[in-house]
Amino acid sequence: MNPVIQREFYGILRSPKALAMLLILTIVFSVAVLMRWPSDASADLSGSQSLEVFRIFGYGLLAGVMFLVPAFPAVSIVNEKNDGTLELLLNSPLSAGAIYFGKISGVLLFSLLVLLSSLPASAACYAMGGIDFTAELGLLYLVLLLLVVQYSTLGMLVSSYAQTSDAAVRITYSAVFALFFLTLIPRAFMQGTGDWGMLKWGGDWIRYLSPLPAVMEIMGQSSVGSAGLKETNSTLGFVIVTLVSSFLFALKTLTRLNYRIFDQSRAQGVITDDRGLGTRVARRLFYIVDPQRRKAGIPWFLNPVMVKEFRCRRFGRMQWLLRLIAFCAVVSMILTSMTALGVTSWGVNNIGALLVVLQVMLVLVLTPSLASGLISGELDSGGWALLRMTPMSARQVVIGKILSVIWTLLLVLMATLPGYIMMIVIQPTMITQVQIVLICLGWTAAYVLAVSAAVGGMFRSTAVSTTMSYVIVIALFLLPMIVWLRREAPFGQDTVEAALKSNPVGAALSALQTPGFESYDLLPAAWWFAGFVSLFMLFVLGIQVWRLTRPD
Amino acid sequence: MSDSEVVVETKDLTKSYGEFTALDSLTMQVGKGQILGFIGPNGAGKTTTIRILVGLSKPTRGVAKIAGADCLNESRKIKRLVGYMPDEFGRYNNMRVSEYLDFFGAAYGIGRRARNRRVDEVLEIAGATHMRDLFVDALSRGMQQRVGIARTLMHDPEVMILDEPANGLDPQARIDMRFMLLRLAEMGKTLIVTSHILPELARVCDLVAMITKGKLRAFGTLDEIMKDIKQRRTFELLLLNGDQVDRTTAAVRNWLEQHSAEETLGQSDVTGAPAETMVRFSTSLGDEALSPLLTHLVQQGEAVAQFREVATDLEDAFLSVANAGEQGPQMKASAPLPKTADAGANAQ
Repeated sequence: MNPVIQREFYGILRSPKALAMLLILTIVFSVAVLMRWPSDASADLSGSQSLEVFRIFGYGLLAGVMFLVPAFPAVSIVNEKNDGTLELLLNSPLSAGAIYFGKISGVLLFSLLVLLSSLPASAACYAMGGIDFTAELGLLYLVLLLLVVQYSTLGMLVSSYAQTSDAAVRITYSAVFALFFLTLIPRAFMQGTGDWGMLKWGGDWIRYLSPLPAVMEIMGQSSVGSAGLKETNSTLGFVIVTLVSSFLFALKTLTRLNYRIFDQSRAQGVITDDRGLGTRVARRLFYIVDPQRRKAGIPWFLNPVMVKEFRCRRFGRMQWLLRLIAFCAVVSMILTSMTALGVTSWGVNNIGALLVVLQVMLVLVLTPSLASGLISGELDSGGWALLRMTPMSARQVVIGKILSVIWTLLLVLMATLPGYIMMIVIQPTMITQVQIVLICLGWTAAYVLAVSAAVGGMFRSTAVSTTMSYVIVIALFLLPMIVWLRREAPFGQDTVEAALKSNPVGAALSALQTPGFESYDLLPAAWWFAGFVSLFMLFVLGIQVWRLTRPD
Repeated sequence: MSDSEVVVETKDLTKSYGEFTALDSLTMQVGKGQILGFIGPNGAGKTTTIRILVGLSKPTRGVAKIAGADCLNESRKIKRLVGYMPDEFGRYNNMRVSEYLDFFGAAYGIGRRARNRRVDEVLEIAGATHMRDLFVDALSRGMQQRVGIARTLMHDPEVMILDEPANGLDPQARIDMRFMLLRLAEMGKTLIVTSHILPELARVCDLVAMITKGKLRAFGTLDEIMKDIKQRRTFELLLLNGDQVDRTTAAVRNWLEQHSAEETLGQSDVTGAPAETMVRFSTSLGDEALSPLLTHLVQQGEAVAQFREVATDLEDAFLSVANAGEQGPQMKASAPLPKTADAGANAQ
């Protein structure tokens, strides 16, 4: 047996977190099915009840795979590289292929256990009747298995490039998020706009990168961006695209598993100020905020920790943030002006909803990565002991760290302001709605920041804190939306409204009178909820920091 | 040592984790401008002591003071007084050395202009001026140690506590580190340095504290500790040819048995090494008592090319003390030498 498989698989299984994860998943699946188990004596000849249970189970399993699987392959190579064991493996008689196969097999075996933990629940679903074993249950497991392969190969590819485990986790989850949601946008954008030829064909295939259309097809639902029409080829498309993409990811990773993975010289520390005038001017124009210029000392009125956070972060540095924000500003203005010019028939409300979704996605992707490592990053790097030795109080340290995230989020929130301004110009009556939306987005940012920082502060390793923050934040935002998706059945108006009140995004969409959200009265309850949770989470963070600053 | 000269002082310092005692009644004093070498194997309690001294850990019992400030209850004072360099560098990614030092200067509340000057000064002291623009995450181990010392110096502390500063350094970097420590002591800093590389410490330390299993086994100047260790010395006799080795070995053994005191009989080890034409023996006899041995061997007709004492270094001393500690508290070396702290101060 390949020794790497043994080590990887046992390594994952020995972790108490993995065991806890499997137990929790089994319990969650069982409870979910149990809750929807029919309790009356009437016979369901149509099979709609079992389909309902099957859908909850299927989407739950999809979310489980999406949240839990990428974390393991994401750190698989980078941890070995940083611990020095990859050098030993590459120096052994094992070929690169055997090492890769061993590592991915370990991850896949564990993922298989995750899927197996759902078998009792799926058996219960099947026992209710009305579900086809091959065309529904079997196909769902096939799709999920392929998804596991895709996410594992993707995670390992990212891991082979990343320098730190937390960066690997962050990039992998962002990529998974993009594959899951962003790939649906091109097709949704082109829907109902006539024949766009190759573009439409491309949009279709890009969409197959997401498992959502395939799973929705198996569940007998019309897919996202399908304008209510049931799809018939999403599963096949997904299978083809996933197999091809997984093969390409694996191939690329394999080409990285040799001396080249270490072949990196140390940064020479070139300073723009020491370079020629032409280079200086060019860099100034290109970067606006040039990361390579010599920085002035930290001024007395700024919190040193805040400045330090800005300077030492790899992800979310100013030059990239400015580009991202400029891109968002341009997109939001284009979308709004297209509506004004009548190019699309979406309406200002729908455009507003798209802007909200765009911005929330940015907040969800950026914030956990910035906020989750505020404490664990210091503990990981050994910087915490040094910070404790300075006369700065724990309060100053935490405020500095949180401010560094707040400033970034403010910039992100301002990114779509031009779009909103154009909306108001087009339809001046929307000014109050836009104001409400902006407040909702502000609360969204505060909520995600507080949750990510508090969750991240509970762990000592940055990779774990980043993973847990992403999982919890995405779950907090996705669950109310899943409840909303099932607003006709099984959930009623009151349940959906209660669920949406826990999500300021729902309140923003409701304020914009987005189709499907008009009938819910979510304000100001959603603001109160977000405010309370944010304050509570900041309190938890404060307690954790106080605990960490006390003498051992 | 008068009270005014004592900068670092611990009394009955104890740290327990449940049943396990990491540090057991440590009592010592270090005077101003002295370099204390803190020696012990892994897990001996060195880092525990250091963490208590810098206020990162709370003692179970006892007191630790730096310049009169209580390490536990006056943490703000301690932070100003002490510069601490842990074993782990504490790197921040994407930060240049100058930005890194600037950040710690700002954290200590040093004004911007003074900070800029100070960054240049500390880089010069640490011999790291050329590293100013390099990224801290791209520094080699030796460079990191220099930058770590520069960071520790940023707020001009009175006491510097350096945990394994020579760890992982190449020979040249170790020599540089030694000179840097001496320079810091010349600047009036009191230094506490832990290290596994004992010859390095022997060359720079005024005082040595040897600790094993949480107990202070020996404390004093190197000379004092050596004097205590040298109760049994090792000698070598270099002969002219290998045929002599067996005869000389027997002659030395007989002579030592006749001349050793009754309580030390059987403690003298005599070994012959024909390949090296050498006889090696250890004894507790003093110079006067031992001097007739050479005359005796010559009278026996043995041609002796050299008769020399094997020098005892800090490593031998440490092993001797550590082994004594392992064998139980009845061994002489297991008790801290009470007079040596003051003697260390007098040696200045």
